[in-house]
Amino acid sequence: MIETLAAALGTNVGNPAFWMPLVFMGLLLLLIAAGLVLDGFDIGVGLLLGVAPAEERGRMMGLLSPWRDANEFWPLLGVALFCAAFPFAWGTILSKLYGPMTLMALGMMLRSVSFEFRLRARTDKKPRWIFGFWLGSLLAALGQGMVLGRVVTGYQSDAGYGWFSVFVGLCAVAAYVLLGACWLVMRVDGELQRRAAYWGRQAIRWVAVGMVAVAVTLGLANASIFYKWSNDAHLGAAAVVWVVMLLCFVATEVLLARVARREAGGYATPFMLCVVLFLLMLVGLAYSFFPYLILDDMTVWDGAGAPEAMRLVLSGAIIAVPVVLVFNVLAYRSVFGKERRVPPPGPGA
Amino acid sequence: MDLLPLLLARVQFVGSFSFMALFMALALALSWMLLYFKLRARWSGAPGWTAAYRFWVRIFALCFALALGSVLPLLLQFGTIWSGLLDKIGNVAGPLVGFGVLTVFVLKSCFLGVMLFGQRRVSDLAHTLSVFMVALGQLLAMGWLVSLHTWMQTPDGATLVDGRYEVYDWFAVVFNPSFGYAMGLTLLGAALAVAFLILGVTALQALRRPVDEGERCAFKTAAIVAALASALQVPVAMGAADQVALYQPAKAAALAGYWQSGAQPSWAVVGWPDEARQRMLGEWTLGGQGARWLGRDGSGNYLGLDKFSGMQPPVALVFWAARVAAALGGLMLLASWLTLLHPTSRWLDLATMKRGWLRVLVGLMGAGVLAVVASWWVSLLGQQPFVVSKVITQSEILSPVSVWELACGLAGYAALYAVLLAAFVGMVRHATRYGVVPVRKAGGAA
Repeated sequence: MIETLAAALGTNVGNPAFWMPLVFMGLLLLLIAAGLVLDGFDIGVGLLLGVAPAEERGRMMGLLSPWRDANEFWPLLGVALFCAAFPFAWGTILSKLYGPMTLMALGMMLRSVSFEFRLRARTDKKPRWIFGFWLGSLLAALGQGMVLGRVVTGYQSDAGYGWFSVFVGLCAVAAYVLLGACWLVMRVDGELQRRAAYWGRQAIRWVAVGMVAVAVTLGLANASIFYKWSNDAHLGAAAVVWVVMLLCFVATEVLLARVARREAGGYATPFMLCVVLFLLMLVGLAYSFFPYLILDDMTVWDGAGAPEAMRLVLSGAIIAVPVVLVFNVLAYRSVFGKERRVPPPGPGA
Repeated sequence: MDLLPLLLARVQFVGSFSFMALFMALALALSWMLLYFKLRARWSGAPGWTAAYRFWVRIFALCFALALGSVLPLLLQFGTIWSGLLDKIGNVAGPLVGFGVLTVFVLKSCFLGVMLFGQRRVSDLAHTLSVFMVALGQLLAMGWLVSLHTWMQTPDGATLVDGRYEVYDWFAVVFNPSFGYAMGLTLLGAALAVAFLILGVTALQALRRPVDEGERCAFKTAAIVAALASALQVPVAMGAADQVALYQPAKAAALAGYWQSGAQPSWAVVGWPDEARQRMLGEWTLGGQGARWLGRDGSGNYLGLDKFSGMQPPVALVFWAARVAAALGGLMLLASWLTLLHPTSRWLDLATMKRGWLRVLVGLMGAGVLAVVASWWVSLLGQQPFVVSKVITQSEILSPVSVWELACGLAGYAALYAVLLAAFVGMVRHATRYGVVPVRKAGGAA
């Protein structure tokens, strides 16, 4: 398939101008997947702060702490990589997403600052920052969902499409709530775990509705995607994917119901199933659009920068990734090493 | 009205940029200050330096959180507001933005956690090293930002091919003609902002209660940094003005308030630029002395603002932002050197400073911060209506976004920045009054 694509573009696979945009596309998808899942449960727990009893809120934010530094960086890295690797697509796409992107940016900033400021605020001000974290999570989830709603309708601007993107935004809120709830079911025990299972069950139907709506709209609003999926080979694949997704939904629902009924076991499974659901959705979308960044208009090769500029970005990524891996492993080892007990806050802690 | 979207976009972008640049500057200068405290504590073992480190690392963490949080909005605005920009300068801006974010990512994920939360888990040497790496990382990040910003002022090392810049010399792009002076001014401005913040906070503490050793150490360091930086700022600012005259005659003319090209070259110290009638009101000029800071054409004639009719920057704003920055710079120069010469029992001893002088220092607490914002405004507004000097105007890259959406977005940003700014000020005030408490992250991941 890669060879045919290269031949269609009149180049060969070894040409950097051909393969570098593909590498960046792969990296970008990895970053989006990481952001969706890892920053996703972070957003989900943030959203659940709104319904959690006040005395559990501090604990829930504390649960996020160890991964917070890494989690909050995936979206920023994704945005920066998109900007650096596909500069010629950047403005064209973002100019159509002013509203959703502004919501997302405001939400992300509020989340990021609220989390850090809550640690440093005095006790009577902490609830304000928890509220800020919840509001930031809500704005970020709405914004991301609305971006998705705009993308699958091909950025059309009639009023109906606007309401559709708001609807997808609300479904995205439900999706993050489900992910966050399943993560909590995995992480905690007791009363909070049962509450989380209840929240997850409330959200799951809206997630299913949202995913079906996105998939159907994607096909109906974009003739070329409908065409792409409607040959024999693709219909089979699509059927398999739909069956897998249905099974995931049903299994998650059943397992969450068991947790709510206080039956033991399988606490990690709902979260894994949710991750599978999210990734299938992402892969399906990416496959529908490939090789376009803007459907039928701009391919990944049109959007990519000049080969020399891309080479610089790639070399930066190649240098940075091992450094970050090594230091993160060192840092986490010194944290999760022998001393498990929490040191008392003392000088310089 | 056709100009309203452009105006809203400008306000939103300049506001977001100023917010990010201000907190980046504070975090940058504070991190180097903290490195110095840390090293003094290591070498001398005096408890005062450790105390100074412990107090100011809290303020640093607040500044860093705000700076980091404001990166994403600004980055997205590069596409949502100026949608045509990266299509033209993507080959230049893409790698610079990528390296900037990568630098912040490395310093945040590898070193910041150790610096802020890992002091008890790693050796003192490793902790000192991570403080150094955080400071270095922020210097590099600021370098990428200033590089991109100055390249847009004085583009070099790239040529315009079919409406897109293509780079032929990366060294010339990064170290473009105005990079050096702009970086110098940014670093000195950051140092002054932090030095006067420290002077003000410690002076406030000295007015309220007997000071401890940590506050005396911080005060002394800040006073010396303030004196050095404010003195160094004079030649660097003059050099930067020469540079502007050479490369950006429209900005130079706006800074000078020089309207008529044929007229006697003059450089107004004060006055009101009357943009409607294209002349200065009530000016008091340097006369021929200021001619070196005016741009000239090929045959040596001085270029006034009339040469840039229709393409003038907002003259009054640029003119006065520069005057405010210069006046604050002068005030800080005076105050810092008077502090050095202040009669105390020991040199620069906070405990025996006169109360009247401490009140002056409290009053100047925000002088450096304001000067940082004002000098960014001179730089950003001074090249309007262009976004890349003399080549690309802001109106040709503006997104087709409705006024209504832009107004809502601007209101959202204004509300968020106001809340965060108020929270920052409130938390610094609280720390000044009651000191700081240790902070621990649950789970304790570095």
